[in-house]
Amino acid sequence: MNKDTTQTVVKRESKNSIRVEFDRTPLIDRIRAKYFSLYFLKKAAWYIFRLLFLIGIAYIVLYPFIYKISASFMSPSDFDDVTVSLIPRSPTLNTYKAIISENGYFKALGNTFLLAGSCAILQTFVCCIIGYGFAKFKFKGNKILFALVIFTMVVPHTTLKLALQYEFRNFDILGIFNFLGGGVIEGINILDETYVRLNNTFWPLWILSATGLAFKNGLYIYMFRQYFKGVPDELEESAYVDGSGVFKTFVKIILPMAIPMLVTVFLFSFSWQWTDNFYTSLFFTTSGTKLMNSIIEVPKSLLVNLPTAADQYQNAIRNTCGLLIIAPLVIIYVFAQKFLIQGIERTGITG
Amino acid sequence: MRFHLPSLKKGNGKSKKAGSVKERNRIASLDKKKARAGWLFVLPFILGFLLIYIPIVWQSIQLSFSHINYIQGGGYDLQNVMFENYKNALQDPEFLNILWAGMKSMILEIPAILFFSLFVAILLNQKMIGRAAFRAIFFIPVILATGLISSIDYSQGNAAQNVSGISTGSSSSPSIVTASDIESLFSNMIVGTQLVNIVKDFANNIFDIVNRSGVQMLIFLAGLQGISPSVYESCEMEGASAWETFWKITLPMISPMILVNFVYTLIDSFTAESNKVMQYIKVVFQQVGGPEKSSAMSWFYFLVVILTVAVFGAIIGRLVFYQRRD
Repeated sequence: MNKDTTQTVVKRESKNSIRVEFDRTPLIDRIRAKYFSLYFLKKAAWYIFRLLFLIGIAYIVLYPFIYKISASFMSPSDFDDVTVSLIPRSPTLNTYKAIISENGYFKALGNTFLLAGSCAILQTFVCCIIGYGFAKFKFKGNKILFALVIFTMVVPHTTLKLALQYEFRNFDILGIFNFLGGGVIEGINILDETYVRLNNTFWPLWILSATGLAFKNGLYIYMFRQYFKGVPDELEESAYVDGSGVFKTFVKIILPMAIPMLVTVFLFSFSWQWTDNFYTSLFFTTSGTKLMNSIIEVPKSLLVNLPTAADQYQNAIRNTCGLLIIAPLVIIYVFAQKFLIQGIERTGITG
Repeated sequence: MRFHLPSLKKGNGKSKKAGSVKERNRIASLDKKKARAGWLFVLPFILGFLLIYIPIVWQSIQLSFSHINYIQGGGYDLQNVMFENYKNALQDPEFLNILWAGMKSMILEIPAILFFSLFVAILLNQKMIGRAAFRAIFFIPVILATGLISSIDYSQGNAAQNVSGISTGSSSSPSIVTASDIESLFSNMIVGTQLVNIVKDFANNIFDIVNRSGVQMLIFLAGLQGISPSVYESCEMEGASAWETFWKITLPMISPMILVNFVYTLIDSFTAESNKVMQYIKVVFQQVGGPEKSSAMSWFYFLVVILTVAVFGAIIGRLVFYQRRD
């Protein structure tokens, strides 16, 4: 009791003395002390440098877009007009309207969203599991298997193009379907062929995603492995001691900790599947499923006869298609980046 | 720390031959259990590699060891010629020249990309006004790197120089700085032309470097989230400066991600479609007897890449700090 009261007295006194001292110092001195200190100057210089640096780099990134965006609002007459360079004289939304209505933008958007979303979720989850397996478990062949992951990173799929296409057009793992004999499936239809035709469906990409072989999945596995390697073993050990199994520990302890990594990998896989041209043109040979790669064309209503600047106008239209493809991704990123915030207590270990 | 099964069995006393197998499964040692769990976690990759990847790769490797005999009326026949295609590929002087030149240019580029992306990631991790906007802008190169958007730019090529003289494509980088600019900047100082050229190259490459470091930036950003804020807090309490905090905390804690980014940047610059060697392999493919030669070339090239990754990865891997006991 006694000790407590003395402490509060001391506290109040010191607080008071600070206030009194603060009131007694003249305003000019106070300002000088605050704004002319080395600490403040250093901080201000750093803020200004940081801002200028980021704006400079942002300018470099956005530089090619300045013209593309302004050109997307130009009407055909602006392209013929030599005096128009960056600001359109007669701005119009016709280019956007024509692409959205005539090229089936929303249909492509829906299909691509389904494809990219399903593939990205699969890839993120599967690569997370595989990466965790490589990082935290010692078993024979761990290193050799991981070297094989690096191998899949090195060999680009463009080199294996024909074999990839063939594999999924006549899909038959080790001749199992052949062995079972007889009619096997195309979608649902039963044919007289002894393999599954998987092209023109989402299955080739789903199969590649589920086995960690899709585009740049080696990188994702590597990212997860390194991230989990940095997690101290004590964390899992304490969970094991508390009676949690390996998989429960993974779901309850490890996954929540890896959220920044999961978000990053999801963003990568989603946006690369979204803008993908290679796999979609490889596996979707007929024009059944409308995806993003099929909207890049000049709409018929915009085929105008321009004497001098026909090429420029068509390029501007194609660039506008590109802008329409990028826009949803940037919006998704703005929402997703909120998860990239420091503050998750990682170690949970004291002593 | 291994549990010995026999002694446990004695303790139980009731185990007969039939029961012992069951028991062996039940009381496996922790190491064994963990190894089994490890296999389970890695299983998707093993299955995919064995059942899908090997058959695909096998075709390409087979081609590099064979000679194609085209049969009249369509179809072809593969004839095993062992290492002849590889001999042809390695006797191509241009191939080796391009390979060597490409490797030399990477010595400067890769550290530049890594430094730049780490620096920007640290900046973007700090609290500031407009952080979301900056992050979104720096994300754009990731989308541009592959696929549709680059194909739009590529199809327009150099013909699409627009009205105002601004280049439309991100693929064609206009030179921001010329040698004379740098010379006039350095005119009062005594520096050799070599240095002027290096500075000029860097200034002009910044376009390229910024556009190639988007992925690395995001990986670093995600890695930075993993560093516990309480570590920084205690650093501040102890009076460490920002400089010291970077070297003692941020760099060691982010080092696993530096290794990832190094390996990724190396592989990416080796195997990107804009790489000179990859382009040359494509050119060779069109020649007479090209498919075999180009596949031999690409497999030799991948071998070189894997060896480079292994050597440099091992060197950098030794410097990586993992937060663990052993």
